[in-house]
Amino acid sequence: MGDSGILWLRVAAGLYSLGLLHAILTVLRRRESLFRVALTAFSLGAVFQLVAIVEMGAAQGRLPVNDIFETMSFLAWVVTVVFLAIHYRYNAASLSVFIFPLVSVMTLVGALRDPVSPWSNPVVRSSALAVHVVASLLGYAALLFTATASVVYLMQERQLKRKNIPAIFRALPPLGFLDDMISKSLGVGFLFITVGLVLGIIWAFVETGTKWIGNGSVVIAFVTWAVYLALVFFRVSAGWRGRKTAVLSIIALICCLVTWIAHAQLQRRLLP
Amino acid sequence: MKLFVAGLSHKTAPVHLREKFAIAEGSLPKALQDLQRLGALEAMVLSTCNRVELSLTVPDSAPAHEIFDGFLKSWQGSASAFEGHLYRLESKEAIHHMFRVAASLDSMVVGEPQILGQLKAAYQIAKTEGTVGGLLETVVTRAFNVAKRVRTETGIGQMAVSVSYAAVELARRIFGSLKGQSVLIIGSGKMGELAAKHLHRSGASKILVTNRTHERAVQMAALFNGRAVDYTNFTSMLHEVDIVIASSGAQHYILNRENLQRAIALRRNRPMFLIDIAVPRNIDPAVNEIDGVFLYDVDDLEGVVNANIQERSKQAQAAEAIVLKELDQILTRIKLEEVTPTIVSLQGQLEEIRAAEVAKALRRLPGLTPEQVQGVEALTKSIINKIAHGPISELRRNAGLPDGDQAVELIRKVFHLQS
Repeated sequence: MGDSGILWLRVAAGLYSLGLLHAILTVLRRRESLFRVALTAFSLGAVFQLVAIVEMGAAQGRLPVNDIFETMSFLAWVVTVVFLAIHYRYNAASLSVFIFPLVSVMTLVGALRDPVSPWSNPVVRSSALAVHVVASLLGYAALLFTATASVVYLMQERQLKRKNIPAIFRALPPLGFLDDMISKSLGVGFLFITVGLVLGIIWAFVETGTKWIGNGSVVIAFVTWAVYLALVFFRVSAGWRGRKTAVLSIIALICCLVTWIAHAQLQRRLLP
Repeated sequence: MKLFVAGLSHKTAPVHLREKFAIAEGSLPKALQDLQRLGALEAMVLSTCNRVELSLTVPDSAPAHEIFDGFLKSWQGSASAFEGHLYRLESKEAIHHMFRVAASLDSMVVGEPQILGQLKAAYQIAKTEGTVGGLLETVVTRAFNVAKRVRTETGIGQMAVSVSYAAVELARRIFGSLKGQSVLIIGSGKMGELAAKHLHRSGASKILVTNRTHERAVQMAALFNGRAVDYTNFTSMLHEVDIVIASSGAQHYILNRENLQRAIALRRNRPMFLIDIAVPRNIDPAVNEIDGVFLYDVDDLEGVVNANIQERSKQAQAAEAIVLKELDQILTRIKLEEVTPTIVSLQGQLEEIRAAEVAKALRRLPGLTPEQVQGVEALTKSIINKIAHGPISELRRNAGLPDGDQAVELIRKVFHLQS
């Protein structure tokens, strides 16, 4: 990979991160306040990523899709171009909540192929790891709230539909309150789990070079984040409530549990 | 001193007698003064549409019935019209009754909250007139606490027992706070208007009204500071409202599955509450199958009300237990207060004897040092405290017992205490 190629790719990843920020703010504030800025940054990011791909291709003399990093980067660019095309044709702003974070993380992974020297300061090393772990756990905790509130919402909704509310259900909070709690815990959880994921990727990249990418536990973590992202997307763009949210949040919670189990001893397995 | 309560209520007298006995608020001070003039130590008058009752305290020996009859005679001319419809309660029964009234257990709609406010107002007037300040005040203020305890511990007043309130209760169960929620009223049925009034009072701020006759929609909208909407076009703005109240005279469904599916999609699945109080119904029952749509017709609301009434009667049993517990506590307290003068008098008498005997002894022993005098004082005080301990404990123990008066009297005699 050409040196300037990876540089442009990292610039693109930086620009895409504004898209990620937009998605998080949209979930937290429940309105798309940063969309225009994020879209501009995203379009610019796509240009820089194209430059990177062309440079890398020129340097290698073939299409740069030779390993998981290059493939991931290329796929992210294709997704970006398709999204931009759809958006300019049909105005697909609501899709951005899903696409922006996805492309952002994919490009970040793509930009992390060339190993750098590990952090020399042990405080920085352990702090980055600690923040990654704490942020991820906070994300899981928030999801636990989301899933609990979703199940209670489902129960309350069923009783209201059946028009027969037993005394025991009278103590449950109103749907409006539960809905608010689901939105807030989902937004906060997504913020934490994304911070956890990005820090995890950066830490693994700095510490282990490229060894982490093929690790099964890391793949599970990506899948969990993707399920979380899907939950956020369906909630924000399609207004999913009731049964659908309950089911998806429980799936996401199970994924979190699997990730948590899979990450036990991961540090020892990654580091020599 | 004893407590006496007499009067009539929805349980004992028909409305024409209740309204005859009713005492207007402006006349309450005079009624209280009359009761005191007739011999009551304290007096309070509670006059509502469902009950008129007088609460008095009189000396133990005084004929409370005669005071009440005298009052009836001077205010109503004769007591005969009310005979058979009056209740007269004394002491324990009177306190039990006052607690039950305050806790809304004796109300027509058990658990309704107004009675406590009415009782507080009656107490306030008596307080202003200076006709409470002893046992009656102790009982009434305790009754307020009993009512509060019943309300918080049983939740007896939380469930709606009318169709229009049931609609508000359900709306709250769906949306939480009704602040800022929007309501669409279709038609001009009275029940619909009443439900809308309750929702509006509970915080629903945006009220839209539609009617086949536009002028009527405009008139009703004016009641709520709302807006009249064109009847031919109201379905297109369905997604903008959270609550729909249908009470039009249409003979067919005016809202169907398709209308609601479209609205709920435009609302991105935010819930909608539909209240169909029209007969024949205005909304296709199939819309309740749509996710996020909650449809209640008249029968459903009646079902909620009936379930609530049943639940209230269950809660009422728990409330009665609380009232009985509180009754026991206040009776013990009153009895204790009754024996307090005896205790004070016993302690005074013993102290008098002790002081006199010590003075006598000190005159005979002039050479004692101040420390020795102090020692004698402490010794004698300790002796009389030990002597007094037994009878005081007995007085306190017997205060709450049914035959306690006899023990109290015996102790008074043994120690030659003046009654």
